[in-house]
Amino acid sequence: MKVLLVEDNERVTRFVVKGLQEAGHVADHADNGRDGMFLAASEPYDVIIMDRMLPGQIDGLAIIEALRKSGNRTPILILSALSDVDERIRGLKSGGDDYLTKPFAFGELLARLDALNRRVQGSGTQTSLRVGDLHIDLLSRKASRGARAIALQPQEFKLLEYLMRHAGQVVTRTMLLENVWDYHFDPQTNVVDVHISKLRQKIESDSERPLLRTVRNAGYMLTADE
Amino acid sequence: MNRLLRSSAFTLAFSYVAFGIAALVLFAAPLWYAYYVTIQDARLEALRTDTQRLSEVFHRQGPPGLSTYIDNRVGMQIPGERILLLTDSTLHPLAGNLSAWPAVVPLEPGEYDLPVNLSGKDTRAMFVHSVLPGGYNLLVGRDQSLFAPLAARFWFGLAAAVAVLSIAGVVGGLMIRRAVLVRVDGIHHTVQAIVRGDWSHRLPAKAGSDELNTLSRTINGMLDQIEQLLHGVRDVSNSIAHDLRTPLAELRSRLEELSLTRPESEETFAEIDGAVVDVDRVILIFNALLRLAEIDTGMRRSGFVPVNAADIARQAVDFYLPAAELKGVTLSYRGTGATDISGDPVLLAQAIGNLIDNALKYTSAGGGISVEVQALADGKVQIAVADDGPGIPDEEKPKVSARFYRGDASRGTPGVGLGLTLVASVAKVHGGVLELGDNNPGLRANMVISAQSGNATGALQPALVEGRAGAAAAAHNLRMRSVS
Repeated sequence: MKVLLVEDNERVTRFVVKGLQEAGHVADHADNGRDGMFLAASEPYDVIIMDRMLPGQIDGLAIIEALRKSGNRTPILILSALSDVDERIRGLKSGGDDYLTKPFAFGELLARLDALNRRVQGSGTQTSLRVGDLHIDLLSRKASRGARAIALQPQEFKLLEYLMRHAGQVVTRTMLLENVWDYHFDPQTNVVDVHISKLRQKIESDSERPLLRTVRNAGYMLTADE
Repeated sequence: MNRLLRSSAFTLAFSYVAFGIAALVLFAAPLWYAYYVTIQDARLEALRTDTQRLSEVFHRQGPPGLSTYIDNRVGMQIPGERILLLTDSTLHPLAGNLSAWPAVVPLEPGEYDLPVNLSGKDTRAMFVHSVLPGGYNLLVGRDQSLFAPLAARFWFGLAAAVAVLSIAGVVGGLMIRRAVLVRVDGIHHTVQAIVRGDWSHRLPAKAGSDELNTLSRTINGMLDQIEQLLHGVRDVSNSIAHDLRTPLAELRSRLEELSLTRPESEETFAEIDGAVVDVDRVILIFNALLRLAEIDTGMRRSGFVPVNAADIARQAVDFYLPAAELKGVTLSYRGTGATDISGDPVLLAQAIGNLIDNALKYTSAGGGISVEVQALADGKVQIAVADDGPGIPDEEKPKVSARFYRGDASRGTPGVGLGLTLVASVAKVHGGVLELGDNNPGLRANMVISAQSGNATGALQPALVEGRAGAAAAAHNLRMRSVS
């Protein structure tokens, strides 16, 4: 995955670029709005990470708006120290695809970048999803594993659907909260973990191969791979 | 005296007096004009009529007849009523009450209004001069000075009105000053005392509902609110000092110990992981503080949309249900009535989530939590979360919604102590309150919010923005640094 990082803080830049390289990605970097704008417009990137507040005349949101106006559809993740819900909405309205508040865990950033990258590749309307022998029908809202039908509550189905849409990727607890429940706060108890373990019991019986893995310090991943 | 003249009551009184005089003059001027023109015309008309009548006498009886007629008339009339003079063509007087032809009156026939000297007295007179056949001159006139007292009375009346108006204005100004400005001065002194830092002062407000009493009561309400906020800020500083310093102190000692002892890499990594957890806890507290600042400054009201409180509560119950089951606690939902409100779904979800979170924390296995949403009769919606845990002692109830307050019983359980504060703030921004009651046993948290969310404290918000925005900016800077 080829990533452009537009960020003026050196520490954050080093932390993100190093992390991306270790994860096997290519990262370009611009430390001001003008260079960022130039790179974003001239090079093909899979994902752009855009800091909200940049030195110089152009700020992050202005770049995003300019790119979108010129027809550039590269997924953009907005990085910001402004955490207000309103700020988040403004960021997404300007053309950003996701919004992450500083400070953040690298795992959270990587998971979101992956999700943005795949979203572009795997877009199009699907009526069913399959991961290994786990299958869900999006129209009849039914799930099955091999020949075994799995009874799911509506909420569990929504959770499983999100995991299956992001199969092979790490999804964080925050991503699940935002996308499955539309909650924008941290519940203090480990409610998401409980939901996952309940879902896990339903989709993985003792004799079946585990599909839903816990990724340490990051979140969960649904995958059929070994 | 100088101060008296500068007071706004006098400015006000003077403007009214000036306005009154202007109105009086505007009223009197056309009146005077109409009066003057009408009277003047009537007088002239009277002189013309007399001239006409005398000419007829002349035509019928000739110069001697007219002379006799004029002399008779002069003899009968009250003094000064008419000036009458008949002369021959050489201006030699034949009859009348003037001894000679007045020099200022031209020899051409016509109507004149001129200053003239009549028998040694300077005056102004109106004349009609006609020339009769044979060169006889007939002069009929009227001494205008006889009307002077009338004009004088008019001007005197006007002057008297102006004087009365001025005196009334000054007295009125004094009375306004006594009645109103003395009270305004009181407000001024009170506010000055408060500016100096003495928050015990309040404006004198009587029971009446006149503007000043209403204003005083409103300002007193504002002062109460500000004082409460000041205490809040002080409490926050203390609480931040405690609750934020604790994880920071842990973090610091952890890192310093690492730096000093340089342990095996395995142990170092474990310590670093622990340090990240410490930082995450600090971030959690910051996020909670920022969210509170965001709510309290009223910024989130832009996020108000029509929502159904019952739907939000039901979804929250669904969300927490697996966690409750795991703990062996029953979590039930009950909703009655129309619960459509105007509100912020993000905040309401967080508030209800916090209440359930809280209830789960304090309820032990076998216990039960119930979430009830119902429409109240007065157009409000009540969201209640009740548990059968240990509850909160009455004396602690007012304190739990203060920032960072954590009951003694809760020390050692996770949480940053901002949960109920946030719920209270969310309730407030929705025009409602958070009430903590007894569930016998357990706690019953009642969030009563207004369906239309007319914010009762809306007018006060601008005062709060500055302080809270400052806090938010400070927190923001810290966050920037902590990510570096």
